[in-house]
Amino acid sequence: MTVSLRRAHTEDLHDTPQALHAPLFQNVLDKLEPSERSVLLDLGAASTDMLALFSESRCCVEIADVAHFGGCELLNSAEPGPILVEIAETLLPERVTHDPVDIVFCWDLPNYLTLPALKALMQAIGQRSREGAVAHALVYYAERNMPTLPGRFVPTEDGKLENHALPGELVTAPRYSPEELTDHMGGFAIDRARLLSNGMQEFLFRY
Amino acid sequence: MFERNKKEDHSESQDFGSSEPEKTFGANRKSKPRKSDGLATIGRSIQISGDLRGDEDLRIEGDVSGTVELRNNALTIGKEGMVHADVYARSIAVDGETRGDLYATERVSVHVNARVQGNIISPRVSIEEGAHFKGSIEMDQAAVEKVLGKPAPENKAKPEAAKAAAQKSAKESSSNLNPPAGTA
Repeated sequence: MTVSLRRAHTEDLHDTPQALHAPLFQNVLDKLEPSERSVLLDLGAASTDMLALFSESRCCVEIADVAHFGGCELLNSAEPGPILVEIAETLLPERVTHDPVDIVFCWDLPNYLTLPALKALMQAIGQRSREGAVAHALVYYAERNMPTLPGRFVPTEDGKLENHALPGELVTAPRYSPEELTDHMGGFAIDRARLLSNGMQEFLFRY
Repeated sequence: MFERNKKEDHSESQDFGSSEPEKTFGANRKSKPRKSDGLATIGRSIQISGDLRGDEDLRIEGDVSGTVELRNNALTIGKEGMVHADVYARSIAVDGETRGDLYATERVSVHVNARVQGNIISPRVSIEEGAHFKGSIEMDQAAVEKVLGKPAPENKAKPEAAKAAAQKSAKESSSNLNPPAGTA
């Protein structure tokens, strides 16, 4: 299955940052123990707000910014197979320590990857994750269209998420089903899911 | 090799305070960060390959690859600067591009439109919206101290020595106040 990039003719989804109530994201944050060391892998872009959120914790934050560094195009265009996992590994940041990853923030990146590409990326992530690690993701489900590029999600003080993606044209969302995700999350299984007010499905996966 | 920027233009180095000339130029060079009468700059046409060390604040607008060590000073990588090196400094501000690990005992600031690939090890890190960063940021204070060493504020660096000095000082003060009997 490929991600369709057909242009849509609907009004922009993100003219102003949407404040999303994302209970599973909040749940992940609530379970972070300030006194325990945690390794977080953020597949999105770096944000001062996210760093501030973790500044009081004993965290190591690994930031991949997969979309900006050409990761989506690279993964979507490569031949499926073991080589794809190797390519995916190169998209992940080099590590300061060899502590396993505890939490993965996927944001809406899965919508911009083909299913084989998603599987390869999550397999590569799984190889550096501990058993029981969680992955949080936002998947376009009820909404048929999505922005051309992945969003830039920023946590707010009241525990919500704002999408700071630049407004622009829309493309058709792949609207992956839970079954498709189950088969292509590289060992991460669905733990919980919630339908959000903007038509996105919020998922929490467990390795 | 280096250009001296004699102009009093501190607008782009404001992160690191003023560049006032040090009154005791040359004194305690090894132990105190030195501030020159102008910010040392590696110009945009300069390419350096190898180890770069120094005791003054530096701005890089050219290409540098290898290692950069300014352990007591501030480094600014300007908009035109490209650094492919592990960098050790007191503070690091990036407006340009870096590939390599950034170690700063005080702070790392990644400004808008900067491109940074590598790990950041520093007690304080800020990344502006619009900057592009790929790597790890160690925010665990214990892990940062393990790599960079504990911060050593004055009077706390060597508590035993400070205690001994204080006792000696108190003893001397005491002896001055109480001259030996029979001398009055």
